[in-house]
Parts: sequence; structure tokens; C-alpha cells
Amino acid sequence: MILNQNNSLVFFHQLSKSFREGDQLRAVLRNTTVGFEEGAFTAILGPSGSGKSTLLNLASGIEQPDEGDIWIDGTAINQLSDHDRTLFRRDHIGFIFQFFNLIPTLTVLENITLPQELAGRRVREVIPQAMSLLEKVGLADRKDTFPDKLSGGEQQRVAIARALAHNPKIVLADEPTGNLDVKTGERVMALLLNLTRDTGRTLIMATHSPGVVPLADRVLRVHGGQLIETSNRSNQTELEPV
Amino acid sequence: MNRQNLLLTILFGLFAVAGGLAWWLWPSPTAAVSGTVTTSLSEEDLSRYSFATEPDALVFPRDFGPHNDFLTEWWYYTGNLTAEDGREFGYQFTIFRRALTPDSQSDDGSAWRTNQIYLAHFTVSDIANERFFKFEKLSRGGADLAGASAVPYHVWLEDWYVRENEDGSISMFAQGDGVTLDLNLVQEQPPVIHGDGGLSPKGPNPGNASYYYSQVNQTTTGAIILEGETIQVEGRSWKDHEFSTKALNDEAIGWDWFSMQFDNPEQNSMVLWEVRQDDGSIALQSAGSWINADSSTYPIQYDDFDIEVLDTWTSPHTGAEYPTRWRITVPDLDLELIAEAMMEDQELQTTPVYWEGAVEYKGTLNGQPITGKGYVEMTGYDQPMQVRF
Amino acid sequence: MTANSQSPTTHNTPLWRTSLRRAVRRPFQYILFIVGVAIGVAMMVSIDLANSSATRAFEISTDAITGRATHRIVGGPTGLDQALYVKLRRELGYSLSAPVVEGFVKVPELGDLPLRLVGIDPFAEPPFRSYLVPADSGNDGTFADFLSVPNTIYVLDSLAADYGLTINDAVTLDLAGVAKEAQIIGLITPTDEGNRQALENIIFADISTAQDVLELNGRLSHIDLIVGDEAALAEIEALLPMGARIETTAASSNSVQQMTAAFRLNLTALSLLALVVGMFLIYNTVTFSVVQRRPMFGILRCLGVTGGQLFRLILGEAVVLSAIGSIIGVGLGIVLGRGLVGLITQTMNDFYFVVNVRGVTLDPWSLGKGVLFGVLAALIASFFPALEALRTTPSASLHRSTIESKVGRLLPYLIGGWAALSLIGAGLLWIRGGLVIAFGGLFAILFAFALITPPLTVWLMRVTVPLGQRVLGAVGRMAPRDIVRSLSRTSVAIAALMTAVAVIVGVSIMIGSFRTTVVTWLNQTLRADIYISPPTLTANRVEGELQPEVVDELLGWPGVREASTARTVTVRAPEFGRDIRLVAVSGDIADGERPYAWLPEGQTDVDVWSAMQSGEGIIISEPLLIKEELSLPPEPITLMTPDGPQSFPVLAVFYDYASDQGVVWIDKQLYINFWDDSAVSTIAIFMEEGVDVDETAAAMRTSFQGQQELIVNSNKSLRENSIEIFDRTFAITAALRLLATIVAFIGVLSALMSLQLEKTRELGVLRATGMTVRQLWQLTLVETGLMGLVAGILAIPTGFALAWVLIYVINVRSFGWTLQMHLEASYFYQAIGVALTAALLAGIYPAWRLGQMVIATAVRQD
Repeated sequence: MILNQNNSLVFFHQLSKSFREGDQLRAVLRNTTVGFEEGAFTAILGPSGSGKSTLLNLASGIEQPDEGDIWIDGTAINQLSDHDRTLFRRDHIGFIFQFFNLIPTLTVLENITLPQELAGRRVREVIPQAMSLLEKVGLADRKDTFPDKLSGGEQQRVAIARALAHNPKIVLADEPTGNLDVKTGERVMALLLNLTRDTGRTLIMATHSPGVVPLADRVLRVHGGQLIETSNRSNQTELEPV
Repeated sequence: MNRQNLLLTILFGLFAVAGGLAWWLWPSPTAAVSGTVTTSLSEEDLSRYSFATEPDALVFPRDFGPHNDFLTEWWYYTGNLTAEDGREFGYQFTIFRRALTPDSQSDDGSAWRTNQIYLAHFTVSDIANERFFKFEKLSRGGADLAGASAVPYHVWLEDWYVRENEDGSISMFAQGDGVTLDLNLVQEQPPVIHGDGGLSPKGPNPGNASYYYSQVNQTTTGAIILEGETIQVEGRSWKDHEFSTKALNDEAIGWDWFSMQFDNPEQNSMVLWEVRQDDGSIALQSAGSWINADSSTYPIQYDDFDIEVLDTWTSPHTGAEYPTRWRITVPDLDLELIAEAMMEDQELQTTPVYWEGAVEYKGTLNGQPITGKGYVEMTGYDQPMQVRF
Repeated sequence: MTANSQSPTTHNTPLWRTSLRRAVRRPFQYILFIVGVAIGVAMMVSIDLANSSATRAFEISTDAITGRATHRIVGGPTGLDQALYVKLRRELGYSLSAPVVEGFVKVPELGDLPLRLVGIDPFAEPPFRSYLVPADSGNDGTFADFLSVPNTIYVLDSLAADYGLTINDAVTLDLAGVAKEAQIIGLITPTDEGNRQALENIIFADISTAQDVLELNGRLSHIDLIVGDEAALAEIEALLPMGARIETTAASSNSVQQMTAAFRLNLTALSLLALVVGMFLIYNTVTFSVVQRRPMFGILRCLGVTGGQLFRLILGEAVVLSAIGSIIGVGLGIVLGRGLVGLITQTMNDFYFVVNVRGVTLDPWSLGKGVLFGVLAALIASFFPALEALRTTPSASLHRSTIESKVGRLLPYLIGGWAALSLIGAGLLWIRGGLVIAFGGLFAILFAFALITPPLTVWLMRVTVPLGQRVLGAVGRMAPRDIVRSLSRTSVAIAALMTAVAVIVGVSIMIGSFRTTVVTWLNQTLRADIYISPPTLTANRVEGELQPEVVDELLGWPGVREASTARTVTVRAPEFGRDIRLVAVSGDIADGERPYAWLPEGQTDVDVWSAMQSGEGIIISEPLLIKEELSLPPEPITLMTPDGPQSFPVLAVFYDYASDQGVVWIDKQLYINFWDDSAVSTIAIFMEEGVDVDETAAAMRTSFQGQQELIVNSNKSLRENSIEIFDRTFAITAALRLLATIVAFIGVLSALMSLQLEKTRELGVLRATGMTVRQLWQLTLVETGLMGLVAGILAIPTGFALAWVLIYVINVRSFGWTLQMHLEASYFYQAIGVALTAALLAGIYPAWRLGQMVIATAVRQD
């Protein structure tokens, strides 16, 4: 096992990924190796199109790397079949999108219980926890509402609850406040941090909002196909530039 | 009295069967039919048939043939046969005719249209093996399927027939499943004319009578084919031919009829019948004839004979109990006979049920031993015969 | 922790909830799906039910007559001599035999329908038919009357009750115009419904009555047998006179089934066409539902839903919806079937055999098959869209343009597929296979044209863009571009509409060509002035006979220049293993104008006709040549005569459109020599110049009243009658064509409507940026109109190809008829008209709705 010594929960090993844009090939990651420690909140900064989202997609197995391996909790997920990778994602990863992406035909509560139901849990078993999450995000009274009747901030709070409902070890958030006004964004961000830190979850967030930096345990910047540590309050993992 | 009642009842059964088509023709009807309901033939309907009223009316060969203007008619053969190896057999072959209406049919139009129905019974008794074979056939008297003619003498129902050959002998053929009867009969004696010149009274009123004659002691040769085995046989046969429209005996519940053909040098024959009544008595019409070789007869009246039952047999098929051994005495003739069924089970489970079987006779005539064979017919043991006409 | 440590199971229940919610919130798509399946299934089920009801009615009555018989002895055209039966009984003593005399009579008192008069011998019946015979329980005179009173009959109690008749009522039995009085002496009460149905069209009589009424004295129609072993069979065979033979009862009912097989297969194929159109509709609907939900599927994939789950969801939806649609379709099919069964029965009566069908038999197999086909068709149609769903990548940002560009890449393959399918179709049609293969070819070609539709649409739209720009400006440019841009759905809708319209065009050309051919043929062959026949039970056969006195008087009628008589009978052709129709003629009603399909080299039609009339041989009809796959010149044909098989040289092959089973013509004298039957079925009369034909015909009609009712037709009225029968025969095809049109119409309407409604958001943006309501209407209608136009244009060559196949392959293989293709311009502009109308109508609702909407709502719609 090529696991890095410093107990990363998520570990990118010599990862490369590029996209075809028209006739050109654009590299997002070039032979990057980086680890994400369990329980830490890592913010990934970078301008639009710099590859932040790709990074998250790779971490969740939504996209496959061109080269290298993605280790999550001892499993090289890029070596799994698409089916197994999907199940892995379902069971271990919570995802929060910029555009909330709630299922419009399901109620708030149903949206939250969906991942667990997909994993075969009974609705009755999962409702208490979903309700407690809803209470924590302050939307318990809206549980039977359909998403299109909610404001953006409310929708994103539901999305957070949904991402946490099945107790994932890792939460991936892609610009979670990018579509919200500043004030709402701050409140949603606070909520998200509370809920992840409370339970010691690993949070990786892609954002272009510098306001997040002081809150993160560690800040990485995507630049030229590499992840560059810009500041870290806790000063942990050293990167090994190659 | 003779077999009139039995035969009428058989014919009634035939009519009921043919008209009702209830159990015999259509054993499992899947459709029920309602038709015009007319009661049994009324006096008025009956009156349009011919009646037996005249003595000395029988003319031969004309009257060997059918008489469609009478309601009923039959040609009734029984016989006792012996194979070369001594095996003994009995046979019965009867063709009945019954008119459905008194109106004769016009000749133009379909040959199938007819008011005459024919029924035939055919049995063989294999004495040694105690096997009794019985068959029945029914047909319309049209389209040449069944019929009768006087010249040449010919009565047939499909492939069963009795037919006069060119040499005057009679061919008889009948077959059923595994049994074929193929015989040649020689009518050596002239017909035995019963009653008053062939007019045989059945009741107190004029017309309650039949025309009736017999041809007895017919030398019989031929073959019985039993399940593939051809057995050459010879013996003697007895024929009755009778036709009538009405005969009455409301009290009768059944009868026993005996025919005897003796081995004595005089070649005598005899017929006796007893009519049993519902009060247990024997009817006054019970009677018989002693027949000489020239067919002349000596009449035997009610008081002249006695029949005592010595033994009985219970039918496993119907539960009816039949006599099988009798003592017959005719004091005027100084005749005493023991009659014994050659085998027990010679019962026909037809409608009505009856017993018609080969019988052996042993006894003395004028103190001299005498033996003979013949047939016995017993009816009304299963249930009382209902005489309708 | 590994991926496998948790349950690897997947659960679709929550996904189903999304479908259910969607169905409640946006039922339109689902209703379309259900309608598509329902109509397709309804078509199939209705045809199937009508077909099976007609054949079943025939089977039931045949079975009722056959009873437990295993074999039957049959004879020539006049049946058997009854002496054979007597011989069987008296010489062989074969008691498992029963004589039957049967024929059809009309009974005015019982609805004037053809009823089968069955004469039986009750004494022979017990082993055969337990329910055919009066089964009274008492001693009464009914049986005596049955046997001994002429013209006494039994009928089914319910039949008598329907017409207010009961026991002792008199009825008239009309045999070919000769009426006979009869009396109902008994009613039959069946114990179960099956028997009731079987006995509905049967009159029972004693064999004597049947012989009298049917004028068959001394003859039997057949002798039924129960034969257990070969030995008995051989014994009976040894007894048979020349011209009589034993056949199994299964074989005789089979031959009847085979007679109508081609007819029924044609109907089934037509009903399948409807299902195919329905499949396009389903494909369209399912594709749409997948495309529309693609963003949601993307989210779901992110949340951990596997592709397989989505695949199963789509197919699962298809199963549920198609099951609902199929069940509705079955119900509809039953209703439709009740209407169609009358049409089918009429055709069977006109062309094949007498059959009365009183209602639709709900055969569970037909209904089950309908549901099965509906679900199967939906699954097949949903397979590719479901595959699309399976391939959804876990991303929320995939847009349709990706799929559309995929369709763009597919175009070359579609062209390839078109070429391949066309070749396969042509190959299937070219090989001399059966009818099923021919229909396979037909469907292949139809699919080929459907495949080429998208590439052709793209090409046509590219051509249209500059034209539209010039005529309508921006809207004119946008409409064709929109069509190309949404090609994944527009092309399917266009293909569906094209297929449906092509079917309409193809069938119209076929019927039109057929009709023209028949009219021409009638004009050529019907040359005599007056035609006389006894009343018939079926349209194209004369089974009855003219009474000899009637014939004599007609031939000697004043003003008659020439008369030719014909006797139509059925004889056995041992080589073909079946009965064929033999017509014995004394002259040519075509007066030398008869068209021939084949003449020996160097001979004229006059030569062959005079050779035939001088007894040198026979002439046969084209369907016989084709049906029996005879070579040219044909070998002599063997026919069974009362003296045994006899071989007849074939002198020529003539065109004939009256029978698809084939006909043999023989000289009258030659026929009498061999068959000893001088009866006359029909007479054709040529009048002298100057004699008033209509007056003579009227005089003939009245002259024989009370003796024999006659059908007297003038040349004109006979032609009109013939055309009427033709139109009646194709009534069902026309009905099917109408149904196909409705399917197409609904299909296209719904497809185009969903297309337009889907664009709500986009159009909202357009409205926001300044498009007027009027321009919106323009855009919508131009777009749907263009699609209809493309479908209509493409339907023309497709319909023509379809017609070609129907006329030159299907018809020839089914019926042996050579038709002349006859085209009319109206078929083509009708096609475009139908397509355009459907398309424009489909645009109205979306245009109206989009014009009404609040722009803000439209823009915000997800």
C-alpha cells in the first residue's frame, strides 16, 4: 500500500487529469500528490475554471483520473467499477452543490432521506435523524414543502442536511455559497461548519470566496495543475512537490 | 297366452328408448329437448292399425313377411347346438318390428323416411365355459338398413339376417364383438298354426289377439365363431313369428315360457307358458301345445299341467332371483320332466331385463325315458312387467 | 472500511417516488405513453378478436357437426351414393358410422340467415353426436314425427325464441330460391353455453327430411366414421367406390382454416402496422421523459444512484405504463372488435364459406397476447432511451446539446442502417418465401425509410434555412434550426408521422389499383346481357341449382340470341391435396374478350377457348397457377371423377379476381361425361339486337314466381353488384387505414406538443427579449408545419414502395392476383395534407399556451 505516512483519509497519489477543449488538451492536475487529513476542513481556492470542481469530482469518484490513484480510507476508488464506485459514494460521501440540486419532485424531508433509502434503509428508521438534521438547519416546519417553494438559502440548508444524513465521513462542497447573497452565504457557511466540525467530519470545499480562508484548517490553491498550500493555521501536512 | 306380453314390453322398451333416447341411444345427453308431448297411443290412434280378428287368415308364403299395418311383429329364433367334440351351445336371435304410426309412407321422397323401427337381440350361450354373449341392434326400417320380405323369406337388420336360400334352406347370420353366428336351417316341418287357425286370443274382446305360428325342429348346421375360434355345430332351432296390434293382461307381472324339442323317435315338440299375476296366482290363459312331427297339435289347457320350481339362481347383475330347475308334469300325456338350465347366467340386461336360456329336459313319457332340449324365457323377476297396451 | 463492507444492494423505491410525483404533477407525458400503447394494442386485439371469433364460430359449428368422428368418407361434387352406407352397415357391419346430409338453407322466419340444415339418422348417432339429437325423456310422438313426418325440424330454443317461434310453428326452408314448408317439432336446450353457440346456426332434421329439402335423394353429404385401427380403415377403404375417399376430420377442418389463412394474416399484419406506429410514439415519449429528467438523473448519480438503477427505473416505468395502456387497449379492442367482426364475417362469407357470428368471443389468449405485445413493444421502444439513462454521467451540468451532437454523429450510421435494412427487405421480398417472410420484407423496408428520415430531415432543413430567412426573417431561420437542434426528438416524431402517412398512402394505392384492375376485368369478362342464378348464400359462389324446367324455359325465351350455362361444383384435386372449384361452361360470357395470363405459344384466346369447348382440356385461373406454384406451361391437372382420377391438359391460364383459391373451367359436355351431372347453376344470356334487356330481365324475374325465386341481373347491375362486393371486402382495410390515421394523428399531435411545451423556458427568454405573441405563433406553427411537410414528403416514396410491395408481392403471394398498379395524384397530396394538418393542429395548443404564459414564470421554469 502506497499510503502516505501521515494518516490522510483522502489521498491523491500522483494524480493527473486533463480535459479536451476543442482541439486542445488542458491539464487541470499534473502528477499531483496530496492528502486530506481526517476531521479537517480544507478549503480549495482558485478562479472559475481552475479545476476546483474537477478535484471534488475526482475525490467523489464522479470523474476518473488520467493517471494516478485516489485513495479513500484505504480504498483506491478509481480502481473500482463504476457500479462499486457509485455505491462507495452513496455510502461514504456527502455532496453539496452550488446550485443546491434538490430533486424537485420530492419534499424537503424526502430529499434528505433519499440517500439512505437508496442504500436500502427503511424510511421509518431514517426519519428521526433526518428530522433532527432539519431542526439543526432550522427547517423542521418546512419538511413537507417542495423545493421550488424555498428560497435559495433554505434550499442550500436542505442540501446540507441531505449531504450529512447518511453520516458520511467525507463531505464535499462545491461553492456552496456561490449562489447566495453574502448574508445568507455567511449563515449557510456557519451552519455547514458547525455541523461538520461537531461530528469530526472531513470537509473539502471548493470556493472562490476568500472569506472562507480564516475558517479553514488548511487552504490549498489550484495553480498550474498543482495544489499549493497558501496558509494553514494548524500547519500540518507538507506537500511533496514533484 | 304366449310371449305376447314380454315381446310387447320389449317393444315398448324399444319405443321408449327410441322415442326417449334417454339411456340407451344417448347415454350422456348434453342437451335436453322438449317436444310435442303426446301420451302413449290412445285407443283412437290404435284403431287405425289392423287387428287380428279372423281365424284361418294366415297364408304362406305371404305371411312369412312383415305386416306393417300391425303395431308389432317379431321373428324369434332359439336353438340348441352341439359341436363335434360334444361342447354344447345355445343361441337366441330375434328381430322385432314396431310401427311408429299407422300411416304408411308415400313412396316418393327420401328412402330413409319410414314409420317402422327394427330391433334385434342376439345371444350365444357357451355352456361348457358358462359364458353368455349378448348383443342388441336398432335401426330404422328404411333405406334398406332393416326390413323383411316374404318372397324370398328375408328378415334383416343391417348385417344381421335370416334369409331363405334358393334351395329353400335358411341362412342365419349375426355377429357381435368376438362372436359370430353363421347357421343354415332346414324347415322340414310345415308351420305350426297356433290358436284358432293362427288367431291366438289374448283377451276377452275381439281383436285382443295375435296372428301366431311357429316353425319347430329345424335341423341346424353351421358355425359359431367365438373369439377367433371357429366351432362347427349342429342341432335344432325353433322359430316363432307373431304380429298383433293389441293384447291385454293388466294383472300379469311376468311369465315363464318353455319350448322343448325331444329326442324321441316321434320327434315331438312341446311349448308351455305360465303367466304369473300380481296376486301370486297363475293366470287362466296359461297353456301350451304338444306338437307332432307333422306339425299337428294337441292343446294343453290351464288345468292340464303343473310346473314346480326346484331350484333358483340370483343374478349378480340385477339381483333378480330366477328359477333354474323345474318339475313339469302333464298327466294327460303321462309326461313327467325335470327341466334344468344348462347354465345359470343367461340374463339379458336390456329394457326390460329378462332371462332367455338353453334348458335340458329329462323324464318319462308313457313310462319310457325321454330327453330333450329347448329354451326357457322368464320375465318380470327384476321388476313387474308393466304392460302398457 | 471498504466499499463492499456495506450493503451492495440498491433500492429503487425512492426513485419510483420521483416518477410517481412526476406523473401527478405532469401527467401529460404519461397519458401520451398510455394512449400510444392503448391504441396500438386496441388495433391488434380488435383484429385478433374479430378474426378468432369468425374462425371460432366456424370451428364450433364444424365441431358440432364432426362430433367424435375421426374420419369421414367424402365423395365428389354430388356427395356419396347412400348405397355405400347401406353396404358399410350390411356387408361390413361397421356400426361406428353415421350418415350425414347437410346443406345451407335460408329461413325467412329465422332472420333470413343461412342456416345449416343437418340431416342425421338418430339410430346411428349415439357414438358421434350426443347433443345433436332430440333427447326427450318420455314416451311421446315427437320421435315418431321426426322420423316419419316429412319436413319436421328441431331448432335451438333461444333461436326460436329470438324470432318468437315455438313448437308446432311453421317455417319456410328456402333452398336456392325454392321454398319448402317445414314444422318445428322440437326445441333443443343445450346444457352449456359452448353447445348453445355451436347449435345456434344449425337446424336438425331426420336424414329423410334433409334429403327431401336439399333435393339430395339417394345421396349423402358424407359418412362419419370412428376408426381406431388401420385394419378397420383398410376394410372400409376396400369397400369404397371410385370417387369416394376417406379423410381425417382434422384434415377437413384444417383445409378450411388454410383457405382463410392468407386473409387473416393480412389483417394481422395491418394491425401490427398500427402497433409499429404506436411504438414510435412510445419511443418518442420515453426519450422525451429521459431527456427532460437528465439533470435530475445527473444529481441522482452524484448522490449514489447507479446507472443500472436508472435503466431499471425507465424500463420499470415502461412496464407499468404499458400495462395500464395495454389493459385500456384491450378494453378498446373489444369494443372495436365488435364492429370489425361484422366486416370480417362478411368477407369470409363473400369469399370462403358460410359463417354466422353473433358476437365476439373473448378469447383469453387474444387478450393476453394484446397485453403481452403492448408491454413488449413498450419495452423495446424504451430500451434505447433507458440505455441513455444508464449512461447518464454523475454530473448536474450535462446539457442536451451534447446528446444532440451525438445524434449528429449517428447520422452516417442511420444512412448505413437504411441501406442495410433496405437490402434485407429487398432480399426478403425477392426470395420466394412464404407470406410471413414477405411481410418481414415489408416491415424491413418501412423501418429503413424510418431510419433515413433523420438524415433527410437535416438535409431538408439546411436547404430550408435560407429560404425561411428570406420569407419570414428570423423566425423563418429559427424554425428549421430548432428542428435540427432537437433532432433526437423531432426526427422520431417525423418518422412516426411519415410511417403512418406512408401506410395510408400505400394501402390507398393498393386498394385503388385493385379496384381499377377489377373494374377493367369485369368490363372485359362480363359481356352477356342478362345473368340468372338462384339466390345464393355467399357472394361469389353459386351453390344452388336452377330447376331444369326453369333452364329450359329461359333458354327458349323469345329474343335470346345465345345463352351459356355454367355449373359450379367442388371437386377433389389429389395433387393439390384439396378441393377446388370446377366450373362447367357451355359458352363464354366474355364473348371472346377474356384476358389471359398465359397462352401457349402461337395460340390465340379464340384457339384455346374453342379447344376447351371441344373437350380437349381445361383452362385454369391465375390464382390456381400461383397458389399451387405450377410451372409454365402447366402440367396436366388430375381431378377426381366418380370413375377415379382423371388427368386434364391445361390449355390456358386466365385472369380471375373472384376467387383466391383458384378455379378450373371445363367444357359442359366433358363434365357431364365424367361426372354425370347436368344441373345448371347459372345462365348468361346474350339478347338479339333491339330487344329491351331491362324489360326482358323484369319479365324473367316475375315469370317464375312460385316455382323458383331467381336472381336476374342485367349486365350493368351485375357489374355494380360485383363492385359493391369488392368495396365491402375492402371495407375492413379502409377501416384499418382510418384507425392507422388516428394513431398517427394522436401520436404526432402529442409528440409535437411535448416538443413545443418543452421549449417553454427558451421561448420565455425569447419573449423577454422582445418576441411578440404573433411571432411566437409563427415560430411554433412554422416549426410543426415544417415537420409535417417533411413527413408528408418522405411518406410519398415510402408509401409508393409499400404499395409496390403490397401489390406485386403480398397480394400475389396471398391471393394469387396480379394487379395493375394504378396511381392517382390525390393519394400523394392527401398524404401531405394529412401530415400537414396533423402537424399544424399539433402546434395550436402549445402556441396558445406559450402566448398566454407569464414570461417570468417561463424563464424560471426548471
